[in-house]
Amino acid sequence: MRLLIVEDEVKVAHALQEGLEREGYKVTVAATGEDGYYLLDTRPFDLVVLDLMLPGRSGLEILATLRSRDRAIPVLILTARDAVQDRVVGLDTGADDYLVKPFAFPELAARIRALLRRGRPELVARLRVSDLELDAAARRVTRGGRDVELTLREFELLEYLMRNHRQVVSREMLARDVWKEVDRATPLDNVIDVHMARLRRKVDDAFEAKLIHTVRGVGFVVKDTKA
Amino acid sequence: MRLRPRHVRTRLTLWYVAALAGTLALYLGATLVFLRVSLRRDLDEGLYDAFERVEDLLEAAPDGTIRMGGHGDEDEAARFVEVWSTEGGLLYRSEALNGGVLGRAPSERSLSAPYASAVLRGGVPVRVLTRRHRIGTRDAIVRVAVSEERPQREWRDLLVGLLVGLPVATLIAGFGGHWLAGRVLRPLGDMARHAEMLTADRLDDRLPVDNPDDELGHLARVFNVALGRIQESFARLRRFTADASHELRTPLTAIRTVGEVALQEEQEPARYREAIGSMLEEVDRLTRLVGSLLILSRADSGAVLDRRELRLGELAQQAVSLLEILAEEKGQRIEVYGDPGVSVSADGLILRQALINLVDNAIKYSPRETAIRVEVRAEAGDGMVEVVDQGPGIPEAHRERIFDRFYRVDAARSREEGGTGLGLSIARWAVQAHGGRIELISDGKGSTFRVRLPAARSGAPEKEDG
Repeated sequence: MRLLIVEDEVKVAHALQEGLEREGYKVTVAATGEDGYYLLDTRPFDLVVLDLMLPGRSGLEILATLRSRDRAIPVLILTARDAVQDRVVGLDTGADDYLVKPFAFPELAARIRALLRRGRPELVARLRVSDLELDAAARRVTRGGRDVELTLREFELLEYLMRNHRQVVSREMLARDVWKEVDRATPLDNVIDVHMARLRRKVDDAFEAKLIHTVRGVGFVVKDTKA
Repeated sequence: MRLRPRHVRTRLTLWYVAALAGTLALYLGATLVFLRVSLRRDLDEGLYDAFERVEDLLEAAPDGTIRMGGHGDEDEAARFVEVWSTEGGLLYRSEALNGGVLGRAPSERSLSAPYASAVLRGGVPVRVLTRRHRIGTRDAIVRVAVSEERPQREWRDLLVGLLVGLPVATLIAGFGGHWLAGRVLRPLGDMARHAEMLTADRLDDRLPVDNPDDELGHLARVFNVALGRIQESFARLRRFTADASHELRTPLTAIRTVGEVALQEEQEPARYREAIGSMLEEVDRLTRLVGSLLILSRADSGAVLDRRELRLGELAQQAVSLLEILAEEKGQRIEVYGDPGVSVSADGLILRQALINLVDNAIKYSPRETAIRVEVRAEAGDGMVEVVDQGPGIPEAHRERIFDRFYRVDAARSREEGGTGLGLSIARWAVQAHGGRIELISDGKGSTFRVRLPAARSGAPEKEDG
């Protein structure tokens, strides 16, 4: 999978390149709108991460030209502006998704995965990590063959973590995707932490091998450390 | 292009002069007309007397001619006399007429309108009275005239005098008006100069109020009140900027210190991870802070509300459901009471945020094993929500400023709890944006935050002053 990152902030561009390359993508970075536009015109990419505030050609211009040529390549825009109007303009111009700076890297990775996956049937009803199994249809969770009793919220939380197996998810992603809370200012971090602690107690406490891990300062991840 | 003088003083003077000149001209015109009419009436009365005297003097000579009897030639009244026969022949003409005529031969028409004006040969204006008179045995038509020269000259002299005097009087009045306007406007100029000298650093100055009851005093008072408000908001802005930079500096300092210490010497990878994680936590705090500031800055520029009819009880229940797990952890009981039917027209997202912040606040600052009560009711048509806790309450000294941005009763503790110090500010803004009010009631045994939302869609939201 080849990604193009159009981002003029060198530090951010490099960090994104490094992070996404570690996720297994081939990443090209363009530092100006002109370069980005040229690269898009001459080389094939599977997805574009586009900063809206660029020197030279603005991100929106690139996007508009791209869409007027009917290129269906997925575009994820990055913007420092949080005003609703900017998002609307971005999405209207043809962006597939947007992220507001400062964003969490795991979130960017998740959005990119989702955009690349789009169109393919994905929702597997049965998820499995090591000896932890989750049946989304039956709303049933077992570990080592034994039932684990979860509240509705805990179940949704675990399902989200298992669908993002081995990927770190941030509290912000959980707030938005599990709690459906759009506003960043809502004081949800403590709520998420408490739910997480309870989920852990039920899933991991009785077992030697811990599956739910905290990545300090970033979020949570479900993975089998021995595998 | 219309000419419009730049200065109020000039405009005032011009208006004044124009009004004065107009009034004077009207008045003088009327006076002149009246005078002319009255002069002519006097003249006509004199003419009548003269006619009667002439009637007595006229006599028929034996030869059939008409002549002025006695010393008639010396009588002033008999100066301009003509006598015509009824057939239209001239019978007598006084010498003073010098062969001139008193108009055309008299007709029936001149008899029905006996008084007329004429001009003699030589340009003397006269008034003429024409009447039938019997002299001796025959009927004749007698015309007597008197000079109108004198009254006309008097009238004309007056006219000239007035025409010269009017502009002079107007000019003098104009100077007076200009001086007066200047005198009236001078305090305004003083006020403007005074106001010009006020700057952001010198907002504590006020305009002097000489007489608080007159118009200028009123203006000065209004100006001073506005100035006071500006000064207040400047002070608030300064405090806010100082507070905000302090709040931003705290996590920045933590990030820097943790990073510097971590890099001081080689360490285990686990220690690095620890350090980076700790730095990221601070970044999280910064992000949240900036997010909240953004909400408030948008609030300052006036938010557009997406109003719908909402059940207040449901909104309160949502806020409680979201956060009740936190209360559970602290062994607190949290319940929603009251009338589930109370509804208000509100922007659900914004109002919900306010309630979440209030409930979060109550959970955070109440001790373990206490109860928190959220009560919904209608009062005089208004929707009311009260969040009542059994915490330590809020000391008198803090109550006033508790809704101010970044204001904290216990700064260290609040930060430890992950608060941004903006929750109550956001709550207050959200309520005020709906035209409602939020207040704190605290008597030492817990705090009650009371939100009152007007039932009807109210117009302008109350000005936020935080």
